[in-house]
Amino acid sequence: MLDRSPRSASPLRSGGPSDLELMEGIQREDPEALSQLYDRYNGILKALILRVIHNEAEADDLLQEIFMEIWNQAKNFSAQRGKPLGWMVTLARRRAIDGLRKKQAYARAEERLQQETEQQPDAWVHNSTEEEILHSDRRVLIRRVIGVLPPAQQQAIELAFFRGMSQREIAAKTNTPLGTVKTRLELGLKKIYDGLKELRDEL
Amino acid sequence: MSFEEFQNRARLFVVGALEPDEMAEFENARREFGEKAEAFISECYSLSEAFALSLKPAKASDQIKARLMEMVKNRQAH
Repeated sequence: MLDRSPRSASPLRSGGPSDLELMEGIQREDPEALSQLYDRYNGILKALILRVIHNEAEADDLLQEIFMEIWNQAKNFSAQRGKPLGWMVTLARRRAIDGLRKKQAYARAEERLQQETEQQPDAWVHNSTEEEILHSDRRVLIRRVIGVLPPAQQQAIELAFFRGMSQREIAAKTNTPLGTVKTRLELGLKKIYDGLKELRDEL
Repeated sequence: MSFEEFQNRARLFVVGALEPDEMAEFENARREFGEKAEAFISECYSLSEAFALSLKPAKASDQIKARLMEMVKNRQAH
């Protein structure tokens, strides 16, 4: 069974098993490990899914499917190839984008996104309220790194990561030459990557 | 491909923004650079983590966890 003694801390919580220990627990088919991993990350993964598909009920269903996939695929996770959160985010993003494409919901999502943007300019390109920021120092630090990017670079990365768009699709959507899109993505990602490296000690 | 160019491509790869025609070249370079390439790609997943962590967490329906744990229990029973 899962070792619940306070050892190495999770990136999001002090004390308790680390993410890696929870993944190892899931690999040993310990439901308690999945339960704890769910409690720790359901909010983050749901936010990611919601950001892609813009539908609350579908996001909940997909969240359940993704955690079931985490349970089923845990044996394929290797700590040598990255951290558990990166693996889960990659899995969740891929499933969310697949779901969006399967349902051919681009048009609907586009419409909802437009409405949401008009009603509440959240997110990344236009940052969040002071109250939201106070909820998470980590989020503030990451948003600060992202926030220094020129808006065109932020937009290109957002369309690629959260909408699953190819460089060509981004070029068409933003009416920008393909080479410019590529440059924006490369420069923006490098700046964020470098910024995160500097923050690593703080996070 | 230089390692610097590979690094640029690796960052595009982890956020799913490599074009199909770039993918083959990237995979060739990945094999060529070997362990050094794999280590860099692992580091690049910090980008995916950061993008997810930049969002305000959303509350899932209370029923989701109950359904999930029930499915796991059933799976283990069979």
